[in-house]
Amino acid sequence: MSEQTMDAAAATVAERPQTARTVQPPAGQPGRGRKAFDGTLNVFSHAFLVVWGLLTALPLLWVVLSSFKDDAEILGDPWGLPSALRFDNFARAWTHGNIGQYFVNTGIVLAGSLTLTMLLGATAAYALARYKFLGSRLVYFVFVGGMMFPVVLAFVPLFKIVGGVGLRDTLPGLMLIYTAYSLPFTVFFLTAFFRTLPDAVAEAAYIDGCGPFRTFFRVMLPMAKPGLISVGIFNFLGHWNQYLLPVVLITSDEKQVLAQGLANLAISEGYRGDYSRLFAGLTLAMLPVLVVYAVFQRQVQSGLTAGQMK
Amino acid sequence: MRHGKYPLLLAFLLPPLALYGYFVVSPYAQSFLIAMTDWQGLSPAYEFVGFDNFKRMLGDEYVWNALLNNLWLLVLLPLLTIALGLFLATMLNVGGRGGRSTVTGVRGSGLYKVIYFAPQMLSVSIVGVLWAEVYNPRSGLLNSALRALGLDGLAKVWLGDPAYAFWAVLAVMVWANVGFYVVLFGAAMQSVPRDIYEAAALDGASRLTTLVRITVPLLWDTIQVAWVYLAILALDGFALIHVMTRGGPNFSTDVVGLRLYTEAFGDYKWGYASAIGVVMFFVTLSVTVLSLRLTRRERIELS
Amino acid sequence: MAQSDLNRRTVLRRAAAAGVLAGPAAGLLSSCALGDDTSGDTSGKYEGTKSDKNPLGVKEDAPLDVVIFNGGFGEDYAKAHEAMYKETYPKAEVKHSAVVEINKELQPRFVDGTPPDFVNNSGAGQIDLGGLVAQGALADLTPLLDAPSLDVPGKKVRETLLPGTVDSGSFDGKTYVLNYAYTVYGIWYSDKLFKAKGWEYAKTWDEHIALCKKIKAAGIAPWTYQGKHPRYMSWPVISTAIKFGGPQVAVAIDNLEPGAWTSDAMKAAAEAWYQIVKDKYILEGSPGLDHKQSQTEWCKGNAAFISCGSWLESEQKAVTPEGFNMAVAPTPSLGSGDKLPFAAIRGTAGEPFIVPAKAKNERGGMELMRHMLSMKGAKDFTGKVSSLSVVSGAADGATLPFGLTSAVKALADSGSNGFNWVYNVYYRKLERELVDAACGEFFSGRTTPAEFLAACQKGADLIAADTSFKKYKRSA
Repeated sequence: MSEQTMDAAAATVAERPQTARTVQPPAGQPGRGRKAFDGTLNVFSHAFLVVWGLLTALPLLWVVLSSFKDDAEILGDPWGLPSALRFDNFARAWTHGNIGQYFVNTGIVLAGSLTLTMLLGATAAYALARYKFLGSRLVYFVFVGGMMFPVVLAFVPLFKIVGGVGLRDTLPGLMLIYTAYSLPFTVFFLTAFFRTLPDAVAEAAYIDGCGPFRTFFRVMLPMAKPGLISVGIFNFLGHWNQYLLPVVLITSDEKQVLAQGLANLAISEGYRGDYSRLFAGLTLAMLPVLVVYAVFQRQVQSGLTAGQMK
Repeated sequence: MRHGKYPLLLAFLLPPLALYGYFVVSPYAQSFLIAMTDWQGLSPAYEFVGFDNFKRMLGDEYVWNALLNNLWLLVLLPLLTIALGLFLATMLNVGGRGGRSTVTGVRGSGLYKVIYFAPQMLSVSIVGVLWAEVYNPRSGLLNSALRALGLDGLAKVWLGDPAYAFWAVLAVMVWANVGFYVVLFGAAMQSVPRDIYEAAALDGASRLTTLVRITVPLLWDTIQVAWVYLAILALDGFALIHVMTRGGPNFSTDVVGLRLYTEAFGDYKWGYASAIGVVMFFVTLSVTVLSLRLTRRERIELS
Repeated sequence: MAQSDLNRRTVLRRAAAAGVLAGPAAGLLSSCALGDDTSGDTSGKYEGTKSDKNPLGVKEDAPLDVVIFNGGFGEDYAKAHEAMYKETYPKAEVKHSAVVEINKELQPRFVDGTPPDFVNNSGAGQIDLGGLVAQGALADLTPLLDAPSLDVPGKKVRETLLPGTVDSGSFDGKTYVLNYAYTVYGIWYSDKLFKAKGWEYAKTWDEHIALCKKIKAAGIAPWTYQGKHPRYMSWPVISTAIKFGGPQVAVAIDNLEPGAWTSDAMKAAAEAWYQIVKDKYILEGSPGLDHKQSQTEWCKGNAAFISCGSWLESEQKAVTPEGFNMAVAPTPSLGSGDKLPFAAIRGTAGEPFIVPAKAKNERGGMELMRHMLSMKGAKDFTGKVSSLSVVSGAADGATLPFGLTSAVKALADSGSNGFNWVYNVYYRKLERELVDAACGEFFSGRTTPAEFLAACQKGADLIAADTSFKKYKRSA
C-alpha cells in the first residue's frame, strides 16, 4: 500500500510547476476581536496535533518496549515497563525466528534489485525522454500504465511465468521481479526528470565529440543526480517493505525476506505462542528503517514527496 | 537526427522492455485468457468455458460482499485520509499565528512531521502484525488503555466482531497513510505564496474558512492525484487484510483481492480467480477514469 | 530550469488508456501460463527391479524429493524417517525441504507436472485433497498397502494399520492419502486444575453446564476457543449430534444430503451448545484471538475447556506450565436417549501424506511411506512428537506424556463406538470458509442455533449445487 501512495505523491510533486518562492511576511496587526477565539482554537488544534502524534508513536514505542518483556508481562501488563532488559528475546528472534537470515536475504535482493532498477529505469527513461521514434509514446504509456494496477491481479500467471524460467523461489528471481514491477514508476518519474534537463548541455557535449552513450553516462546522468536520489530512496523503501511479491514467489523458509518472514512468524504456526520473540522480531525489523529515517528524515521525506526539482 | 540514435535506443530500451513485458505485462494479459477456462491450477489440464466464470460471479454473493467492502473503502479511505491530512498539514504549516500576524507553522512542526511520517517507513506486513497485537482483545494496547481509563464498555473484540473489524482495518489504513499526505500537502502549501494567507488572516478569515476557501482550491491538483492513488489503494487492500484478518470474521473484512487469492490458492479455481482479477482490472480502470473526470476543475493559476 | 511539459491529468488518463491497450498487445510478448506443458516428460519415472527386500521396485540410486509441512510436528521426525530410507538405499540422495505453506511450494510444481515424490500436505496451506484427487494428481497407494511390512514379519502394510486408517484416505473406494498420525478430537482440560479445585469432568450436558457455573464462580472462564478459526468449535457440536443421533448424522453431512445440517440431532446439539454462549461461559475476547493466543490463554489457566485435536499437547509444548497435565475427554451426552455412549469419541487418522501421480520417483515416495509405517519408524514418530501413529501397537510400552496417555485411554474406552466425518476432506472450502464463518457468528452470540445451522446448510447446498466441485459419497 505504501508503494502506491508514494507513487501518488511523487507523481504530484514531480509534475508540479515550480511556483515555490519565499515571501517575506509583511508586518501587520491582527484583528483584535478574533484573537481570543483563535487562542482557544489554537489550544484545541495543537492538542489535536499532539493526540495524533501519540496515536502514531505509541504503538511503535509499545512494540519496542514489549520486546524487552517476558510473556507474562506482555499478556498481563500491556502498559507496564519491562522489569528487565531481556536481550535474549532478540537473540531468540535472530536465530530461532530466522530474522538474521531474513535480513541477509533482504540485503542481497535489495543490492541487486536497486542497481538493476536504477540502471534499467534510467536508460529507458532517458531514451523515452530525449528521443522521438515510432511508437515512443506507446512504449511510454505501456510502462506508465503499470502503475495503475494492483499486483494481486497478476498473481496467478506470474507464478507460472517465473517458474517457467526457473526463477521461482530464488533470490535472483526476486531481484528481477522487483525490478520489473518498479519500472513503471521509475520510468515515469525519471522521464519527467530528464525532460526538464536543458537540451543545451547535451548539444554541447555532442559538439565536443561525445557519442550518445558517453553523453548519457558522463553528462546527463550526473545532472540527473537529484532525481536519481529521490527515486532511489523511493525504490529502496518499496523493495525493503515488499510483501506481495515474495509471498507469491518465495516458498522455502530460508529464502524469505524480512517483511514476509515476519508476517509468517506472526500469522502461521511459526511463532508457537512466544510473544516476546514476536515483538523482538518486529522491533528488529522496524528499528533499522526508523533509525535511518530519523537521521535522514529530511532527505527521505523530500525524496518520497519527490524533492524540490529545482 | 542525431548520430547513433538506434544503437542507443536498442541498448537502452530493449532490456527494460523485455523484462517488463515478460514479468509485468504478460501476466496481466494472460489473466484474460485464463479467465475463460476452468483451469484448477493443480494440473496442466483445462478447458475453455467462455464467459461461464463471469456468469458465475454474478451469482456469487461472496464476491459481491468483497466488492462492496472495497467500495466502502474506496469512499472512506480517501475521504478520511485527505481530510485528516489537510487538517494536520494546515495546522503544521500555516497554523501558528503567535500573536503577530505572521503565518507560520506551529512550534515543533518538524518533529510532528517526522512522527506522522514514520509509519510510511514500515512494511504493510509489519503494520498489520503490529496492529493485530494492538487490537488483541485481552493483552492489546487499545483495550488495556480503555480499561485503564475506566472505559471498559468501549473495549471491544476489535478484529473478532463483524461490527468493528472493518472499521478497525480502515483505521489502520488511515493511520499508515496520513503522515505521507501531511508531508505532501505541506510541501504543496509551501508553494502557495505566503501573502495569500496573510491577506486572508488580515481579512479576518477563520482557519476553517482559510482551509476550505483557500487551501483546498489551491491544492486541488495535488488532492486530486492523492484521491486517485488512495482509490487504487482502497481497491487493493489485500496485503494488510491478508495479514490482519484474512477477511474474517464472517467475511466482514473480505476484499476482492483476498477473494481472488482464496479462490486461487485455497480453493484451486484459477480460472475463476483470474476472472475475478479481470473484473477488478476494469473496476480499477473505471474508478481511475471516473475520479479524474469528477475531480476535473479549473486550475487556479498563481501569478 | 525548464518547466515540466507534462500535465498530471494527461499522464494519468493516458496511462489508463495504455492499460487497456497493454492487455492484448502483451500477449505476443511471452509464452502463456496455460497450455505449455513443456516439462511433461512424466513417462521417465525411476524404476528398479522388485525383490523381497525391495518389494516396490525402487531404483536404488534415484534421488528422492521430500516436502514436509513444518508445523506442530516440526520436521525432525521426517528427517529420522529419511535417514532410515538412506540406510536402506545408501546411494539415494534425499532432498528434504520443510515449508510452512505447502500450497505455495507445491501448487506450481503440480501445474508444471514436476511435483516432489513425497509430500506431507498439512497445515493452513494444505492443498485441497478432494481437488487433487479430482484432478488425478495423486498416486494410488494400493501397491504400498499390499507390500510387506518393513519390520512386522508376515504382514502386509495394510494389516499393520489401525482400523479406519485406509478408509480415511480413500475417495470413492480408492486410497490416495496416507493419514499417518492418529488423532483424537475432544474437549481438553487441565487435570491438575480440576484435581486442585475438586472438579470432575461432566458426563452429561446438564452436569457440564452446572460445572461451568462452578468454574465461572471460581473466577475462571469455563471455555475459550480458537477465535479466528472458529471451526474448531464445530467439532464438539457435530460430535454431540452424532452421539445423540448416531453415525448416520455424519454420513448425511459428508454426502451433502439436503437438510443434513438441520437434522433433529444437529438441532439438539446446537441448542445445547448455545447454553455456553447465552450464559457467557466463554472467555471474553476469545473471538479476537487466534488459535495460538487462545490456546495459550487456556494453558495459562484463564479458561478451563478448549476443543482441539490431540496435536494440542505438542503444539503447546513451549508454553505449557510444568505439571499442567492436559487431558482429553469426549463431549458430554445430551441425555439417556443418546445412540452412542458417553465414551464414544472422534478418532481418525489425520496428517495426510501423499505421493503425486507425476512424481518421478513415485516408487521411492511409497517406499519412504513403508519406512514410516514400520514399527521402528512409528515408534520414533511417537517419541519425537508425542502423537500416536496409525501403526497399531507402535505406542505400546512407550512412556507417553500426560495428554497423549489420556488420548490413548479415551480411544480405548471409546472402542468400537468411535466415529468420524470427512466432509472437511472432501470439500475443504465448506469447513474452512463457510462452516467456519457460521461458527464464528454463533459462538460470539450473534446468531441463534437455528440461524447457525441454516448458515451451515446454506454452505453445504452451495457446494452441492456447484458443479466445479467433484462430489464424493460414502456409505457408512
